[in-house]
Amino acid sequence: MSDYDLILLGAGPAGAAAAIKARSLGLSVGVIDEASAAGGQVYRTPSPALTATQPDADRAKGDALRAKLAASGAVLYANHRVWSLRPGFSVIAIGPDGPLTLEAPNLIVAAGAVERHIPVTGWTLPGVIGLAGATILLKAHGVLPGRRVVVAGSGPLLLLVASKIVAAGGEVAAVVDAAPRASWLARAGSMLARPDLITKGANWLLALLKARVPIHSGTAIRAIHGTDGVESVTIGPVDRDWRPVGDAERTLAADAVCLGFGLLPSTDVTRLLGAEHRYKPELGGWIPAVDASLQTSVPGLFVAGDGAGVRGADAAPLSGELAALGVARRLGRGGGGGSAGEAAQTEANWHKSGRFGAAMSALAMPPPGAAAMIDPDATVCRCEGLTRAMLDAAIAAGARTLADLKATTRCGMGPCGGRVCGEAAAMLIAAATGWDREAIGQPSARPPLRPVPLAAITGAFDYDELPIPAPAPL
Amino acid sequence: MSALYDLAVIGGGILGSAAACRAAEGGMRTIVIEQQTLGSGASGVNAGTLSLQIKRVRLMPYAIKGHELWEKAGERVGFHKTGGITLAFNQREADLLHERMALKREAGAPIELITPARVAELEPNLSRKVVAASWCAEDGYANASLSGAYYRTLLEAAGVDIRERTPVTAIDRSGSAFELATPAGPVRATRLLLACGAWLRSAGAMIGLDLPVRARVNTVSVTERGPALVGTVVGHATGLLTLKQKPNGSILIGGGWQGTGSPDEGRSSVDPATLLPNLRLAMFAVPGLDRFRVVRSWTGFEANVPDFFPLAGAAPGIDNAFLLGCVRGGYTIGPYIGALMGDLILGREPELPLFDPGRFATGASAAA
Amino acid sequence: MAGDLRIGSAWTRTVSFRFDGETLTAREGETLAAALYAQGRRTLRISRDDSGPRGAFCFMGVCQECVVSIDGRLTEACRTPVHNGLVVESVR
Repeated sequence: MSDYDLILLGAGPAGAAAAIKARSLGLSVGVIDEASAAGGQVYRTPSPALTATQPDADRAKGDALRAKLAASGAVLYANHRVWSLRPGFSVIAIGPDGPLTLEAPNLIVAAGAVERHIPVTGWTLPGVIGLAGATILLKAHGVLPGRRVVVAGSGPLLLLVASKIVAAGGEVAAVVDAAPRASWLARAGSMLARPDLITKGANWLLALLKARVPIHSGTAIRAIHGTDGVESVTIGPVDRDWRPVGDAERTLAADAVCLGFGLLPSTDVTRLLGAEHRYKPELGGWIPAVDASLQTSVPGLFVAGDGAGVRGADAAPLSGELAALGVARRLGRGGGGGSAGEAAQTEANWHKSGRFGAAMSALAMPPPGAAAMIDPDATVCRCEGLTRAMLDAAIAAGARTLADLKATTRCGMGPCGGRVCGEAAAMLIAAATGWDREAIGQPSARPPLRPVPLAAITGAFDYDELPIPAPAPL
Repeated sequence: MSALYDLAVIGGGILGSAAACRAAEGGMRTIVIEQQTLGSGASGVNAGTLSLQIKRVRLMPYAIKGHELWEKAGERVGFHKTGGITLAFNQREADLLHERMALKREAGAPIELITPARVAELEPNLSRKVVAASWCAEDGYANASLSGAYYRTLLEAAGVDIRERTPVTAIDRSGSAFELATPAGPVRATRLLLACGAWLRSAGAMIGLDLPVRARVNTVSVTERGPALVGTVVGHATGLLTLKQKPNGSILIGGGWQGTGSPDEGRSSVDPATLLPNLRLAMFAVPGLDRFRVVRSWTGFEANVPDFFPLAGAAPGIDNAFLLGCVRGGYTIGPYIGALMGDLILGREPELPLFDPGRFATGASAAA
Repeated sequence: MAGDLRIGSAWTRTVSFRFDGETLTAREGETLAAALYAQGRRTLRISRDDSGPRGAFCFMGVCQECVVSIDGRLTEACRTPVHNGLVVESVR
């Protein structure tokens, strides 16, 4: 018994657009999201307490999206965390009122992306936060990451976060970008297609120049220092392959660091359901293999948005619509030649609009040499307290895949499930062995997809009603 | 011309590795061929429980020897002898417990019945709804994820060649030797041991055997690290719960609840419908678990044949070929029965009898 | 690090909560992680491995660094809205 024709996982720009499109084609749609409202990370709804910040464009877009989704007739299950799935599909979630299981023959996963991290010594200190986390603090909560902040890593979030800090009255000690300036220029061709977005970026840059924020390209953090939290940051040059070079280090006083190296597609759900994946560095890393309608190798399982390859918020809605059209076609609904034509047009538009985001994603992508940024004593797996030296020792002893590394060191076995350290661990294996990333593999996806309180799974129950099978043979 | 081995072992789990070590120590030139990596199958993903209370009566002597071997391996495999408690929560379970533990005790396991009051003394955080319980001081656990690394050391010390990530795609009997086709080239050996767990059936088919091997899909869950809750290995009269807290504070929950998938599909998955009663049983036994979060549940294949006794002996009707697998409680018993198998291959009389796979042979080979 | 990192001043209702015995304030609806961070309570736990201080990192429910104990249950501070009277303990 299906609850809906289609279930959407994620109510960001891709998921919401897919839901609205599917509803317009007459499908019944349920949408599940972890957050308290639709919008995803980019159009995250501000805290209800936040009434006095200056209006911004993202907020207006988010409000419009929420209104359209609400009017579409799709049923939104906000504040629900999906922790497991079954083929065919059952989606098992935990919400404010307890467990929820929904069933549908089609699933579109629009789970977005998580941040890619390259560990540096001292990055476990309080006050070091992700760049994506910094955007949440700034946009959703109106909280500054610190009084004097180093913004470091790679990709477009550097300028976004630094300019938001400046606009909010904070000080940015430096923007530290591992990519050489030439990398930005090399991507200019793809960016010219979107003058509006270039203007946005130029405005961020202008704001930073006006605030006299030093911007260091081809530079990376060597170490973060402090006792109870961030006190200072040492930076130094890296070469074109992001290997630290020379001793031209300098140490900046700072009370916070925002750190990140682009986005990684979230593939937990498609991996859990056994879809095939490919390693595509130009789209952020591992992504599900899909056909033209964004259907994976598992029939009925579709993907949309950054989870299908990082292309950014502007391309996301088109991918959602494309997947929704695929679902309708699979159900024999909203059919006819017109829909095939619409799908082809949507696909073309999606490819076009995704070029800018993909170029940005590629800009953030660390080259293989970036593994050299990780010092032997830097903690790589934060959950289990494993340093690079410990992982290197296991690799020297024969670990060749993330699964090997997990078995011998527990790397990725903690509560984050390898979502923070998996990428760095794979970089270390690749650096030491020359193995390609497809062979090194992904962290395995197992339920629960996020840590779940046992009590939330088990709920209230009667012991005598447990379905105890016959005991094992004596 | 590839080298000729005295013995090729297909399967680099505990069973195959232990047999290979013994054969090599006895002078045989030995190779282990593993489709993934050493200890990556059931040997590496099981819950690591070492409990005589959940062993079959007829396998008890083997299990006791297995405990001795794991204890000797000690820290290298994360061995801990904590003692174990098995719980019954109603009269039916109490009857089952009394009947079963009496027979296991007769078979040599030092199991004693203890009162609910004694349970509360030993493990104050267990449910107060216990009506009967048993205790075995020999019980404990080891860390299954270290199986591969441990046997790698032993195999290397014994001079066994190891070929990992190497699936065997065909087996040909050419003259007096077996020729094993692999993507990395052929391997030739005069003797062959199939010790590839859930894949025994498909490997057996390569030498013309129709083995009645099936695979169970066992589920294991682990919580994040937390404060000390239990110190012993906790079980249930039905055998459907194993629970222990590791020194790092994480709690492992098993009990053989069934997931989905099969060796032929190449993957298995947790079934939320069986995970739920597994976790409920754990929560009932240890109410303090309500303060913990589950971080991960996974599955592994456990091979068996219809009588649930091991396949361990000569392959019916095929000279110089041997089978080893389907050992219920294989993690505990594996190191010992693997060594016995090595003795058999060396032409020695094993210390304890093995389990002739010929009992499942049909047709002409049944007479062998 | 002194002072409050919140931007602006015109807020809706504030609520009070307790963190390791200390009374702190939050804007109603703010997540616990943001409220603690904004008031300079950045250390949420001590690592069992290196004994170093740890605090919120991703703010989006992924990294699990901001886990705290509420009514004895481990909870991500970044996914917990603060309400009046909330009692929070750091995890040791």
